[in-house]
Formats: sequence, C-alpha cells, structure tokens
Amino acid sequence: MSTHSLVFSQIITGIGIGSRLFLVAVGLSLIFGVLDVLNFAHGVLYMIGAYVAIVVVESVAGSFALGVVAAVVAVAVVGGVLESVFIRRLYGRDEEILDQLLLTFAFVLIIEDSVRFVFGSGGKSLTPPEVLTGTVPLGAGLSVPTYRGFVVVMAVLVLAGLLAVLRYTNVGRIVRSTSSDREMARLLGVNVPRLYTGVFVVGAALAGLGGALAAPAESISSGLGNSVIIDAFVVVVIGGLGSFVGAFVGAIIIGILTAVGSEVIAGAGEFFPFVAMIVVLVLRPTGLFGGAEV
Amino acid sequence: MTALELRDVNAYYGNSHILFDLAMDVEENDVVTLLGRNGAGKTTTLRAITGTVPRREGHIAYRGEEITDTAVERISRRGIKLVPEERRVFPTLTVLENVQLAHELAADPRDVEETFELFPVLDDLRGNLGRNLSGGEQQMLSVARALVQNPDLLLLDEPTEGLAPVIVDDLREVLGDVVERDVTVLMTEQNVEFALDLGERAYIIDTGSNVWNGSVEELRDREDLLEEYLSVGTGEA
Repeated sequence: MSTHSLVFSQIITGIGIGSRLFLVAVGLSLIFGVLDVLNFAHGVLYMIGAYVAIVVVESVAGSFALGVVAAVVAVAVVGGVLESVFIRRLYGRDEEILDQLLLTFAFVLIIEDSVRFVFGSGGKSLTPPEVLTGTVPLGAGLSVPTYRGFVVVMAVLVLAGLLAVLRYTNVGRIVRSTSSDREMARLLGVNVPRLYTGVFVVGAALAGLGGALAAPAESISSGLGNSVIIDAFVVVVIGGLGSFVGAFVGAIIIGILTAVGSEVIAGAGEFFPFVAMIVVLVLRPTGLFGGAEV
Repeated sequence: MTALELRDVNAYYGNSHILFDLAMDVEENDVVTLLGRNGAGKTTTLRAITGTVPRREGHIAYRGEEITDTAVERISRRGIKLVPEERRVFPTLTVLENVQLAHELAADPRDVEETFELFPVLDDLRGNLGRNLSGGEQQMLSVARALVQNPDLLLLDEPTEGLAPVIVDDLREVLGDVVERDVTVLMTEQNVEFALDLGERAYIIDTGSNVWNGSVEELRDREDLLEEYLSVGTGEA
C-alpha cells in the first residue's frame, strides 16, 4: 500500500472512530450543557446499547435495524430511570458535582458488573447487514468500507438533526433558555424537571445509538463503557462542553489522531488525543467551540 | 376581590431570615407599589410570591387558592409573571426568540405582533441576540416577554433601575397602557416618583416587615414616612 493510500485509509478509519465517538460525546455534552450533570455512567449506556443490539439481532429478530431501534429505546428508558429516580435528587445540593460523580460512578460499577455477570468478560461483535458490507469506491484506487461510511452519515445526520431542533423549534428555544437561566425559564412556565428528564433520555438514546452502531465495528465487552467515557470526555473538553459542533469536530480530531497516531508510533494511538486535549486546555480552556449552542 | 393575599409570610436565604410575618393584600386590577430601602425585603417578597426564594413559610394565596408550596412553573402558569430586577433576558436567544418562547409557554398569550407594537425599539432589533442589547433594551424585552404571556398579575422588580430618563418615560408609557388593561400589578421601586405616579396603593416594608400601607395620595402627604423609610427629602434618595 502506498503512503498516500495508507494515510487516506487511516484518516477514513479515524473518521469512522470519531463518528461513533461523536454519538456518545454529543449526548454527554447535551446533558452537561442543559442539566450541568457530568454523567460518568454515559459510557456504560453506550455499552448497554451495544449489548442490546447484539442480543436482539442474534437471538430475537435477526434484523440489524430492529436491533438498533431496540438499543436506542432500551437505553433511553434506562436513562430516563437514572435521571428521574436517582440523579434528580441531587439537584441544588451544596456538593452537587461531587455527589453526581459518586452516584454516576456507582452506576458504572453496578452496570459493568451486572453485564459481566450475564454475558461474561469475553468480547462480542455483530456482523453488519449484507447491504452495509463491502466497500464504496472513491476513484484513484481509493475506497471506503461501506459500514464505516454508513456510521459517518448517521453521525452527520444526528448532528444536523440536533442543530435543526435546537435552532428552529420551540423545544430548541426551551432547551437553550433553560441552559442559560434555569430559574428564569421556570418563571416563564418551563417545566424544568420534565425537560431535564427529556434531555437525559435523548442523551442516553444517542449513547445507545452509538453503542449499537459500534457493535459491528469493534469488540464489545463489559469494559467498553470505561474506555469510551474517557475518550468522550477528551472529545467534549476539546470541542467545548455543551457544544454539538464542538463534539463533532472534537470526535473527528480524536478519531483521526488515534488512527493516524497508531501508524506513526505503533501502539501509541491513545497518546495523541491526550496531547491534543492538553494543548487545547492550555490555549483555549473553554474548548474549540465552548458554549456555542446549548 | 382580593387577587393576592399574604399572611404571616417568612422567607429565608440559608440561615438569613429576610421576611418576618409579612402580610399584604392586592386587589384585582389594583396597582400596588412596594416601597422601602435597599435590603428591606422587597425583592424577597416578589420571590416568595413566585416561589423562587429557597425557603418560605406562612400563607400565600392567589385568587383564593394556596400557592405557598406550588412549583415555580405552576405559579407562572396561573398567570403570575415576574419582570426581574436583573432583566434576565436569554442571552443566546434573539429578541424575537425571547418573545416567541414566552408566547409559546403561556396558556393564553397575547399576539406577538401586538406586543411588538408596544415596543417600537424592540421591533427594529428582532434578530439581535439578547446579550447584545443595551440595559434599556433588555428591560424593554424583559417587560415584553412578560406581557406577551398576558399576565393576570404582573410583578415588576425595580423596573426603572439603571435606566436613562428617556427610557423611564417610555416604560412609564407602556406600563400606563398595561394598567388600563385590567392587569393587577405589584411593583417594587426605588424611584419614588415613578412608583407614586403609576401606583394606586402602596406598602412600605422595612427589615422584612410591613410598616405602613395605604393609598398613594395618602402617602404623598406623609413626609414623615417618606423621610424615615424612603429617605425622600433628606438628600439621600
């Protein structure tokens, strides 16, 4: 493989990784931007999404689309329960941030062990549907794996959808107003507790979607949540907490740095994203797009 | 008919006790001004009514129904709308979006275009973000946002604070129009002339308690009260 082809291939791989990462990071960013909740359990929601998709496709339906829908719905329900039953009790506490970290980290441990108990610690994966196998030729001898291209398109559609809702709908106005002044929004009649549950459900659903789409692309195990949450935090720090565009750009940067970096220094792909995060924190502490949308 | 009734209302911020057994009545379609020095408890009274004070005790009733333990948004949906002292327009929403949002959240809103007609200065700034407005424009937007929700009880917290005289005149005109539309108004105000000009009844609050109430005409003749509680005539106002 020529150097150009190798670099191109790694960039495409990186964009694919970044697209999956975006789906989990954007939910994390959305939840923080509106609720001020740093949800450490977001990674395990992604992991649950992957497992639900695998279980549904392998043992129940055999349809990839149905597996994805089931993952989105199941993780949305789990997210709704987490917020409305547990996290809601922490709002307004003196040590709210610390309590959030302790509570959501407890869920990481509980859910991770539960999944390990049920599915074991071995890796699982899913075969992509027939229509998404193979490659799409781009000319000049270059091509893109079809499934990778599909994930990128899904990520772009999610970004476009979120931006459209945020900018052009009443729900978007409610979300933006509440994220900037929670009390004033309530004074105008916004049911903030209900909005918070709704936003958490959407954020969780996005994590479920990301997990389901990851199942055919990477090995799924109970430890997936921990690894993905660290990458997601790096993404939102680089992109700016609360920014959808920032989450997308940050995720793509991290994906490309991981993929290309592993070719530059074998086995050191994880090193470069953290260097990028440190550089951004030093030069622009609020991230590249800090607070731009939500 | 009594629109708003406060009895034995106490309010606290943490360990600080701000209101002490406050009692007050606001009749339907009345314009009541709440007067007092800085720190007397005027803003806390409005926050107690809207449910945004951290802790409150006593009885607050609106149109005969207890709202002491009612959630902020439910109080709002009953038609009680606050124009806060700090304006608090949404900085990342445009002028139009601020008004549209309020319109869509109200149970029985006023027409958006009709509201803009009351505020010609805002009409020209529809696409501007809230954070890019001047203090006067933000105050106008804050009032417009409350009015588009077609309030039954309008709470105005220091509406003229920090405004240029010409803006105060504009605001007086708009609020004069509002009080003619059967809207009950409860207003805190440091600008005694503005308050007495617009108000019909007045309460004077000092250190969290109601020390006097009566008609505005009556208060105009009570130089002792104006001097003791409002510093009017002493050169301190």
